Amino acid sequence: MGRSQAVLVDITKCVGCESCVVACRLYNDLKPGPRAGGEAKPDGPAELAPDRWTVVQSFRVEKDGSRVRRFVKRQCFHCLDPACASACFAKALQKTPEGPVVYNEKLCVGCRYCMIACPFEVLRYEWDKPFPRVLKCQMCLARIANDQMPACVSACPTGALTFGDRDKIIAEARQRQYSRPDLYVSQIYGLTEAGGTSWLYLSDVPFERLGFPTGVPERPLPEYTWAVLRWTPHLFVGWGALLAVMYLYNRRRAVAHSEEEMYAPVDAEE
Amino acid sequence: MEARTNAMDPEKRELTRRSFLKMVAGSGLLLGLSGLLGGCMEDKSPAYVGGKGWLPYQYDLPGHLPAQVRGRVPIDPDNPSLSRDDQKCVLCGQCLEVCQSVQSVYGYYGLPVIDETICIHCGQCSLFCPTGAIRERDHTQEVLAALADESKFVVVQTAPATRVSLGEEFGLPPGAWVEGQQVAALRKLGFDAVLDTNFAADLTVMEEATELIKRIKGEAKRPLPQFTSCSPGWVKFCEYFYPELLPHLSSCKSPQQMLGALVKTYYAGRRGVDPGNIVSVSVMPCTAKKFEARRPEMNASAKYWQRQDLRDVDVVLTTRELARILKEKQIDLAALPEEQYDQLMGEKTGGAVIFGATGGVMEAAVRTAYFFITGEDPPASFLNLTPVRGLAGVKEAAVEMPGVGTLRVAVCHGMANGRKVLEAVRRKETPWHFVEFMACPGGCIGGGGQPRTAVPPTDALRAQRIAALYRADASLGKRSSYENAELAALYQGFLKHPMSELAEELLHTRYYSRADKLRPLSLAG
Ligand code: SF4
Ligand code: SF4
Ligand code: SF4
Ligand code: SF4
Repeated sequence: MGRSQAVLVDITKCVGCESCVVACRLYNDLKPGPRAGGEAKPDGPAELAPDRWTVVQSFRVEKDGSRVRRFVKRQCFHCLDPACASACFAKALQKTPEGPVVYNEKLCVGCRYCMIACPFEVLRYEWDKPFPRVLKCQMCLARIANDQMPACVSACPTGALTFGDRDKIIAEARQRQYSRPDLYVSQIYGLTEAGGTSWLYLSDVPFERLGFPTGVPERPLPEYTWAVLRWTPHLFVGWGALLAVMYLYNRRRAVAHSEEEMYAPVDAEE
Repeated sequence: MEARTNAMDPEKRELTRRSFLKMVAGSGLLLGLSGLLGGCMEDKSPAYVGGKGWLPYQYDLPGHLPAQVRGRVPIDPDNPSLSRDDQKCVLCGQCLEVCQSVQSVYGYYGLPVIDETICIHCGQCSLFCPTGAIRERDHTQEVLAALADESKFVVVQTAPATRVSLGEEFGLPPGAWVEGQQVAALRKLGFDAVLDTNFAADLTVMEEATELIKRIKGEAKRPLPQFTSCSPGWVKFCEYFYPELLPHLSSCKSPQQMLGALVKTYYAGRRGVDPGNIVSVSVMPCTAKKFEARRPEMNASAKYWQRQDLRDVDVVLTTRELARILKEKQIDLAALPEEQYDQLMGEKTGGAVIFGATGGVMEAAVRTAYFFITGEDPPASFLNLTPVRGLAGVKEAAVEMPGVGTLRVAVCHGMANGRKVLEAVRRKETPWHFVEFMACPGGCIGGGGQPRTAVPPTDALRAQRIAALYRADASLGKRSSYENAELAALYQGFLKHPMSELAEELLHTRYYSRADKLRPLSLAG
C-alpha cells in the first residue's frame, strides 16, 4: 500500500468561483452544455451529472441568527472502504492504494449495483447513451500518481481545497478547529462516515444544513454489504449463488475475447 | 442546462429504483450475464475514464507546492453587470489578477463570505479575460424590443467616453472622435431622442462645485475632503470597505442618473410625453452603470410623479453592446455623416467632455468653483490643470482660489490606488479639500464596458483615448460648465438654482453602508 492521499474541503474558505468545476471539466475533457449565465445558481441542487463530476452548491442558511451563504463543493468522497466497489462484482470500481476510487469502463457491465450501494448518491449513469457508463470523480488518479494535486485542488484560488496524506490532512483539519474554535463546528465530515473517506470537510455551519447526508453509518458499508444484500435474494437464491457467479465471472474474465467492443468506452461525440 | 439527465429527475429515479429489480432480473441481468460469460475485460489495471484533457501549465506542479497564479473571480449568476460563459474559461487567472491587484476587491475581505459575492461591477475582469468568457450582461434585446415597440418613446444618452472608443469596434484607431457618427447611428437605429450625458456632466459639476463650496464654508455640515460620486464602482467600493467615510462622498448622483431623472421629469414635461411611455436607455463605457441604474433609490421620477412604475434609467448598454447592435444591423459607423445631439439636453462644454478621463471631473469642478467664488472666468491655469492629468495612480494639485486660499485636490483611479488615498483620509493625514475617485484605470475611457482593443488594456491605449478628450476640450468655445446655455435654461425654468429643493430631490442621493456584507481586511493585513 502506498500513501493514501486525501483532500480537505474547508467550506469557510470557498467563495463559489467554480474554478474547481472548470478545472475538472478541462482536465477530464467533459463537455457540459453552455451555461447561459442568465439563470440563478440554485440553492442546493446543482447536481452531479455524467459530464459534471463536481459541482459547487450554494446554500443560504441561518447562522447565529443571521442569514449566510455557503458554497459546498461536491464530488465522490472516495471512501476508504467503498460500498460501490464492494457492490461491483465486475471490479469496475476499485479503491487504489493512492486513495482514489476509480472506475474502469472496460470492466463495467452496467448493472448499477454501485449506484444503489453508494451512501452519498454520487454515481451518475449515462441514461442517454447506447452503452452507458457510470461516471464520477476519479480524483485525478493519473495526476496523483504523478505527484500532482487533483485538477480541482490545484485551481482553487482561496485555499479551500488542501491535498496531502490523509493523516496529515486530518491533523491539519484538527489544527484549524483548534485554532478557531469560535468558527468551526466540531465535526470533520468524512472522518468516520461510511468508515472514513478520502475527502474530508470542515464547516462553520452544521453539515446537515448544507445537504450532507446524515445517518451514514460509521462502520464501513461493505461490512453490511447492505445494498447488495438487499437485492441479492431476488436476483439469485442467495449470497452463495452470487459468489458462485462471481467465481465463474472472475475466471472467465481472464480469457481474452472478441466481444470486448460491446463494452468498449463510448466516444464522447454524440 | 441540457446536461441534466434523468438521473437527477427524482421521479424518474424513483421509477428506476422501483423497476430496478425487474430490470436486473430481466434484460439487465441477461446483459450482465452475457458480458460476464463473454469475459470481455482483460484490462485489470486502473485504466479509467478521465484525464484525457489538459490544464494550463501553471497547475502542473508537485502536490506539495503552492501555486501562484490560479483560479478566477467568483461571478454570481445574478450579477447585474457581468456574466461568464464557463465553456470559454481556461482558468488563466487574469480576471483574478486584475480584481486583486488593480481593484483590490478579491482577497480584501475575510472569509467565510457572509451572504453575497463581493463585486463592485467595474468589469475590469471582462477587459482582461483573454477568451471573452467574462462579458457584460447582455441587454441588447431589451433595447431592440423597445425600439420595435411603436408605442414607446425611446430616449438614449451617450456617456462622455464612448465617443472616443466606439470607433475602435469599426476599425478606427484608438481615440478616434466619433461623436457625430454615434449620434447618426443611434438615429438610424430608431431612437426617438438622442441626448448627451455630457449635458448632465455639466449639471453634475454645477451641483458638485456648489456642494464643495458649502462644505468649505462649513454650511453643509459635512466633512472635507469631499469625494466625487460619479463612478458607481467606486461608490460601491466605498460602501463595502470604507463605510465610515461615506459622509465624505458628494451627494450628487452620477451624470447618467441625473439625466435619467430629468428625462422622465423635465424632458417629458417640455416635450409633452407621458413619462410612463418613455424607455430611458444609456450607452456607457461602464458595466457598473448597469448595477447603478438598478439601485432601488434611483427612481426620482417615480417619486416626482407619484407613480411607482418608473425607473430613471431603464436599460444600460455598454460601448461593446452598442457596437454589437450596430454590426447586427449592418450599420457601418465609420461611414456615417456626423449629426448633432437633440436640443434641450444635448449641449456640452469642454468641462463635461473631460469627465471621461481620470482627473477630468476634478478639473471641470475646479473651473466652475472658481467662477462661483470669484464671479469671474477662470484663468488659463485652471483651464489646463495639468497636474491632475495623465496616468499616474495618485495625482495632486494646489490652486489659489481668491477669497478662499489654497484649494488642494487629489485624483486617483483604480481602486488599489483609491485604497491608499482612503487609508490616508482615514488616518486624517490629508490636506485635501476635494478628491476624485474613478474605479477604472484611466477613468471611464478605460471602463469595463469599453471595446477590447488591447487585451489586457494598455496605458498606451488609455492615453490615446484621453488625448482625444483633451483635444476636444481645447477646441470647444465653452470650456466651463456654467457656460452651458441649455443648462442655464434648465435652472431658470425648472430647478431654480444648484442644490435647490427640487435639485436635491432629483439629482442627489444617499449612500448605504454595505459593511455587513463583508469582513474587511486592513491594508496592512
Ligand atoms: S462516495 Fe460513493 S461512489 Fe464514491 S467511493 Fe464512496 S461509495 Fe463509491
Ligand atoms: S475553486 Fe475553491 S473557492 Fe472556488 S468554488 Fe471551488 S472550492 Fe470554492
Ligand atoms: S467586476 Fe470588478 S470587482 Fe467584480 S469581479 Fe470583475 S474586476 Fe472584480
Ligand atoms: S480571465 Fe477569463 S479565461 Fe481567464 S480565468 Fe478569468 S474567466 Fe477564465
